[in-house]
Amino acid sequence: MTRYAALLTSLLALAAADAAEPLTDPDEIVARANLASYYAGGDGRAEVRMIITDAQDRQQRRQFTVLRRDLADGGDQQFLVVFSQPSDVRNTVFLVDKHIDRDDDRWLYLPGLDLVKRISAGDKRTSFVGAHYFYEDVSGRRPSDDEHELVETTDDYYLLRHVPVEPQTVEFADYRTWIDRETFLPMKIEYRDAAAEIYRRVEVVEVTTIDGFPTVTQSRVSDLAGGGRTDMQFRYIAYDLGLPEDVFSERSLRNPPREWLERPAR
Amino acid sequence: MRGLLIACLLPFAATAQEDPFADDGWDDSGWEEPARGVAGFAEIAAGGRLSGDPLLAERLTLGDLRLRLESEWHPAGATLALKVDLDHDAVENEWDGELREATLAFAVGDSIDVKAGRQVLTWGTGDLLFLNDLFPKDFESFFAGRDDEYLKAPGNAIRVTRYGDALNVDFAWSPVFDSDVYLDGERFSFFSPRTGGNIAPQPPLDAVEPDESLAHGEYALRLFRTVGSRELALYGYRGFFKQPTAANANGEPTFAPLSAVGASLRQPAGPGLFNAEFAWYLSRDDRDGADPRIPNDQLRILAGYEWEARPRLTVGLQYYLEATRDHGALLANSPAPEFEPDEYRHLLTNRLTWRSARERHTLSLFTFFSPSDADFYLRPAWTYRHSDTWTLTTGASLFGGDEPQTFFNQLRDASNLYIRLRYNF
Repeated sequence: MTRYAALLTSLLALAAADAAEPLTDPDEIVARANLASYYAGGDGRAEVRMIITDAQDRQQRRQFTVLRRDLADGGDQQFLVVFSQPSDVRNTVFLVDKHIDRDDDRWLYLPGLDLVKRISAGDKRTSFVGAHYFYEDVSGRRPSDDEHELVETTDDYYLLRHVPVEPQTVEFADYRTWIDRETFLPMKIEYRDAAAEIYRRVEVVEVTTIDGFPTVTQSRVSDLAGGGRTDMQFRYIAYDLGLPEDVFSERSLRNPPREWLERPAR
Repeated sequence: MRGLLIACLLPFAATAQEDPFADDGWDDSGWEEPARGVAGFAEIAAGGRLSGDPLLAERLTLGDLRLRLESEWHPAGATLALKVDLDHDAVENEWDGELREATLAFAVGDSIDVKAGRQVLTWGTGDLLFLNDLFPKDFESFFAGRDDEYLKAPGNAIRVTRYGDALNVDFAWSPVFDSDVYLDGERFSFFSPRTGGNIAPQPPLDAVEPDESLAHGEYALRLFRTVGSRELALYGYRGFFKQPTAANANGEPTFAPLSAVGASLRQPAGPGLFNAEFAWYLSRDDRDGADPRIPNDQLRILAGYEWEARPRLTVGLQYYLEATRDHGALLANSPAPEFEPDEYRHLLTNRLTWRSARERHTLSLFTFFSPSDADFYLRPAWTYRHSDTWTLTTGASLFGGDEPQTFFNQLRDASNLYIRLRYNF
């Protein structure tokens, strides 16, 4: 028991040291932000809804449940996304094996055709289901895809600037993130074009601590050049459910695992 | 200093704007469990021939007023699913109710899924080309410009799938043979080797189905597994050719017995996806290929590659071969050897799909081109997703070629334009 108490004390000391002594290595900050944003717990589930508003103020909605399982912290992950709205995509299921060292494997199940369609790797910076969010915003951009620079450390935020290693593969010249010093959640991201104009902004609107993990529960992405935005909300979040590996297989595409898709009982 | 200011203001920046979730029905009440209600769509669709067909007075090729209703229930851990179409077809001038799905799905133990009832079944790796997928298809709907969903016709079957660590096994049994929806001369005329030209029989062609006995059901098997990023599958089938390409003793069109075995592979390669598939069709009643009334054995081979050539522009290419076995015996015994298929039928396909940034517009062009038959089929389409409820699709089916008997060129007078307006609910 005293061993645990000692461990706890040293952990608390470490945490306190963190708060007092700001990090200075941008790669470490990005690594921690990546873990905080995409790797909370060993697995997780959430219900997500989006309102997509175009430049003419016309709105579309999406609603889906997402299950996630990490193979390693900061490493490969599996995602299962089951759509419930709108009605033309209801029961469409999306399965992703996210890889760190190669392209992700992606499958889509179209229930009307009973078709398991595999999707080629493709550009990750294109719209996720018609929203202003990109695939990469949803599943995470590899930290090694950019070079990171710590611009400034404020009382609350680390301000970083990121420059793509392969500029021809992305639409931005650089982007800046404001990372919360306490939670390591990126609270704002601004993308700039070659003329250093900000044309795209992602901002966190609401953070809620769930199962001990500070979690983004509402965010917004704005298209500052073309107009329009997408608002995204997360609810019924739970972590460390013990999701088995076979939940992320062809079986779940054809037959979504209702046992795991149902809302947690609290 | 400026950074600090922004940082301090940040938490208020977004919340100061109006919260879109608050006042439009997407407040917390919108998170209720999705109602076990009824979903579906209403659709109006019209299409017409670009030029007339001398054999058919009707200029219309598509005239649908359709209501789709679907729902599902979950009694005792199982899933009951129902999908019904009510349709008025102006071409055939009739009201029609079609059960697209009526299934009971349940698990047996930890690793077996059973789905029984009327359902659409699909497997294989081809894009609009089917080798080992011998489940029923509706080519009339496909050519007339109905939604892609209608290319697959429902059948009555029991599907049992066992998921294992090393191997997954998929087995589908259709107690009664389900043929494709074939060209019957009512909507589109088709080539007849007897006349050497197209015909549109009245009443429409009604091929003789195999007797309804357990011996005449269909058995389809797939063994599959995924190794890393590579998908591998083996296939087997015992049933009948899906098209009425045989003739019985009375000379009536019918479906010859067919067994098939095959395999497929699908995996990433370079920037895209590569797939390969083959199927060996064994014509059980004509093993030496000498019976002119029954199709010969065939080897079918497919290789395909798909990649995103530019952001939001996907390109797919496929090469497909139908090699007819015992071709010499076929020609030697055929009453009309000039209309028999070539020993090797080569087919190339190309799919171009472009989506606009918010996926409001989708432009696509699917091209079939056979260098050996010297014929083609073009399918351009534009889909405009106006909102979550309204979708407009317009497109065309354009056929052409050199010789009267080739598959796509027999449909040259079926070339059509169509438009569909759908309301989703």
